[in-house]
Order: sequence, then C-alpha cells, then structure tokens
Amino acid sequence: MEPTTASEVYLPFRKGLPPLRGYWRTLWKRRAFIAEYSRSELREQHYDSVFGQIWLILNPLLLSAVYFILIVIIGGHSDKLRYGHLTACLFLFYLVSNSLSAGVKSVTAGQRLILNTAFPRIMLPISATVVAIFRFLPTLVIFAILRSILGLPISFQIFWAIPIVIITVLFALGLAISISCINVYFRDIANFLPYFTRTLLYLSPILWEASDIKPQLRTVELFNPVFSILDSWSRVVVHAQAPQLSSMLISLAWAISIFFIGTYFFLSREREFAVRV
Amino acid sequence: MSNSLHTSGDIAVSVQHLGLTYTTTIDRRPTLKSRVKTLGRGTKHTRTVRALDDVMLDVNYGSVLGVVGANGAGKSSLMRVISGILPPTQGRVEVFGKVSTLLALGVGFSPSLSGRANVHLGGLAAGMTRDEIADHFDEIADFADLGEAIDAPMRTYSSGMYARLAFSVAVTVRPDILIVDEALSTGDAKFKEKSLEKIKELRSDARALILVSHALGTIRDICNEVAWLDKGRLVQRGNPTDVVDAYSQFLQVGKSAAIDEDI
Ligand SMILES: Nc1ncnc2c1ncn2[C@@H]1O[C@H](COP(=O)(O)OP(=O)(O)O)[C@@H](O)[C@H]1O
Ligand SMILES: [Mg+2]
Repeated sequence: MEPTTASEVYLPFRKGLPPLRGYWRTLWKRRAFIAEYSRSELREQHYDSVFGQIWLILNPLLLSAVYFILIVIIGGHSDKLRYGHLTACLFLFYLVSNSLSAGVKSVTAGQRLILNTAFPRIMLPISATVVAIFRFLPTLVIFAILRSILGLPISFQIFWAIPIVIITVLFALGLAISISCINVYFRDIANFLPYFTRTLLYLSPILWEASDIKPQLRTVELFNPVFSILDSWSRVVVHAQAPQLSSMLISLAWAISIFFIGTYFFLSREREFAVRV
Repeated sequence: MSNSLHTSGDIAVSVQHLGLTYTTTIDRRPTLKSRVKTLGRGTKHTRTVRALDDVMLDVNYGSVLGVVGANGAGKSSLMRVISGILPPTQGRVEVFGKVSTLLALGVGFSPSLSGRANVHLGGLAAGMTRDEIADHFDEIADFADLGEAIDAPMRTYSSGMYARLAFSVAVTVRPDILIVDEALSTGDAKFKEKSLEKIKELRSDARALILVSHALGTIRDICNEVAWLDKGRLVQRGNPTDVVDAYSQFLQVGKSAAIDEDI
C-alpha cells in the first residue's frame, strides 16, 4: 500500500525561526494550558485564599510605607502626591519584576515536561507573565481606594492608564521570554536577578520623581527601559494629566524591541532546549 | 479522538539514517561565572554525546516493535526524536499519525500538584482540549486504579504509581502510535497483567506500538519484531526470538567479561 503523506517530518535542527504560522497555530491551540498552568501556579501561591490576597496587597503597601518614611527621613518631598506616586509606581514596577522573577526559571524548571512532551516552549514564560498580571490586578484596586482616600485629582486623562498597562505587559512578557531563554545557557542569572531588579528600582523614578532629576543625569532616561513608562504612569494615575507623547513612544519602542528580540532568540533556540536542560 | 484510520501494514514511523548528538556543558551547570572565568583561555565549554548513529527503522500499523538495549544505548533518545521532542542531528524521521509517548502525557508535570491536576495539565500541554480530557478522565482514573491517591500531590507517589497513571493516560487517549518507554516494569504483577492485556487490545486495533523494556520475556511474548540498540547503533532487528536470544547472549558475555575484570 502506498503511504499517504507524513503528518510529521522531523529534520535536523537549523538555527533560525520555525515556521511562524504553524507555531502560532499550535500555541493558540494550547491557550487553555496557559490558563490552567497559571491558575495552578497562583493556587500554589495561595492566590485564592483570603490570607494570600491580603499578603499580596500588604507586601507592596508595607514596602511603600517603608520607602515613604525613608524619603521623609532623607528630606525629600513628603506630601500625599509623593505617597501616591511612590505607591502607584511601586505596584507597576512589581508587575515587571514579578514577571522577571517568575520567568527566569520557567523553562529550566519545566525540565521534565520539556524532555517528555512536544509543545511550544514559549508557553512557559507566557504563563509566568500571566501569573504576574493576576498578582498586579488586586493592587490596582488598592491603589484606586488609596487615591480616593488621599484625594488625588481626577480627570478623564486617567484612561491613559489602559495603554500604559498594555505597554508594560508587553515589556514584562518580552523580559520573561528573554530571561527564561538566557537562563538555559547561564543558570546563575537567577542568582543575579535580585540585584539587577533592585538596582533598576533605585534608578527608576519611583522613590523620586522624574522632574527631580538633575539635567546632567538625564541620560539615565535613555538607558533605563522603565523610566518613560513609570514617568507616564505617575502623570496619569497620580496627577491625572495626559502623558508626554515622547515618553509614550519611547516606552512603546522599548517594549516592542525587547519583545521581538527576546521572542526571536527564544524561538530560534527552543528546539535545542531539550538537549540543554 | 481519532479512531484509527490506518490499516494494518501501513507504515506508521519511518526513521532514516538518524543521528542524534547531545551538547552538554562540561560543568554540572552552565553558568555565566564559569564562562567569564575561562574567557580568552580558549577552553572548550561543551562536550558532545553521540546518542544515536545512523539508525534505520520503520514501524507498521498493527505491529508491536520491541526495543532492547543496555542503559545508555539510546533507546529513550530514539523515542524522543520519534515523538518530536528532540530534533534529529542527522537524518530524517517521518511519522504518519498521532503519537503519544508514555512519557509524554501527564507524568510528573509538577510534583506539588495532584495526579488529577497533572493529567489535566499534561493533556493540555500535549494539545488536547478540556472536553477531551474530561471525557477520558474517569476511564483513566479507573484504569490506573489509584483510589484516593489520584487527588494527592504527585510527590507522594511511588514510582509504580507514577507509571500506572502515565500508562493509563497514554493508552486511554487512543493514539495512533503509542510509545511506552520502560514503564511496564515498575507496576506490580496485577497491573502488569492488565497493561499487557491493554497492549494486546491496542495491537488488534491496528495501531502501532513501540515498547522499550528490559523484560525480555514480555518482549518475546507480545512483539512482532524487535530492534536491539547498542551505543547508539542498531545492532540487529528482526524476529523477536532471534534478537532476544542474541541480546541475552551478549548480556551473558558482557557479564562474564565484567566478572573477569573484577578478578
Ligand atoms: N539530556 C541529555 N543530555 C546529555 N546527554 C544525554 C541526555 N540524555 C541522554 N544522554 C546520553 O545519551 C545516551 C543515550 O541515553 P538514553 O537515550 O537515555 O539511553 P537509554 O534510554 O537507552 O538508557 C547516553 O550516553 C546518555 O548519557
Ligand atoms: Mg531510557
């Protein structure tokens, strides 16, 4: 009997991208996996229990209180606007840093699955980012309550928050994809990561405001990928003003670049992961 | 779920001149630190392991292929290439149908999750829909017969329980091509009997089965054909009795050589 065409043909691995349309189709078919995997991950972090939720909110709130006291002590501005800015920016920063810290080991920890199942590996860092998003959502509610207690200004400009969050998610996803791939080749990246995020935190307009910065130091703006995002975020959700167009464009450029560069490396390398993990 | 569209005798898997090389780092874990330390010294960071070398093999629907060989012979590697987990380094593999490896589904995906959650996640990762999994779940749980343990975290499972659950998933989803890699040997006698029954049933359904096992008796009993791998090469393939005899003889020889060395 003449065999029909093969349903799968496996040929030697070549560097470069896999056929993208087919990749996307298998990925889309497995979107339920991403939902289910993130959910079980959240359940493990007690996301669905009352105490888990309280901790999730309390942790960044306590942190922002501590930083606020610090600011008062070293003699910076210490009004309610500053407290609002600090809290809002810290929450958004946590979205990025949680995505990074959950993403870094997502591929290497999925070793058993990778060795035993054929699936698009990028599902693993995507799930890590979904977890970070779910951890971010309750803090948004807290901030909304906080800003009405503080009596911060309100205007329609607040709706700019939506594109800013979308850009941040794209950026966080790009970072998770990149770092999970890098960690396959350099396993100690996970150990450096806390120092890296801590440094990024101090060099970003969170404990200080973008307008405080000395003109000679404005170059950090160019090299810090979260600078423009946080500056826009603070203008929008704290001051209820429109963001600067240039900041929005810079943020978008960063997010898109990191996302595409990270995804390119991930996709062109992922078929090799099984022999590396 | 596909109910086999294939006829006995159709080709299911064709492996042509397959070679596979693993690249591993010399250090236990590749790190940035070690890379920086050896920067400019021209040290080699990787070592290659030739796991498969010019393997030619095909499997037909309606038949059971047994694969035997010593530890490290490359059996699992061959199964990983056939199921599309590892890309070959040389050669070509064609698969005509849907493969399910026993390794593939629901096995120890996450040790802290229950057996039930692992079956769900493993099924979703392998591309099944929620409904498909729900339809099969009772049958899987029934066959695995783990009782309450199905809802206990998988880290509390014994290796036998692991294997039972994995085997149940693999056979219940009715793949066209089923690969069972060394999982029959860990179950107890009763389960082993049950799984052999199941394998015979699947064989009569005109599916293709690949069975990796060290239980030579079983291999001789249920396979139509046996392939013997050694150090990544296909040593012999053919009639089960012949190949199993040759392989046992090889093992005897190896044993006495080892005994000689001890003296
Ligand atoms: N992930 C891996 N990385 C590097 N080498 C591996 C890996 N898996 C297997 N090998 C090597 O490949 C060879 C074949 O292994 P394997 O296919 O697991 O053999 P078997 O299943 O027959 O015992 C062995 O030499 C083993 O050390
Ligand atoms: Mg093996």
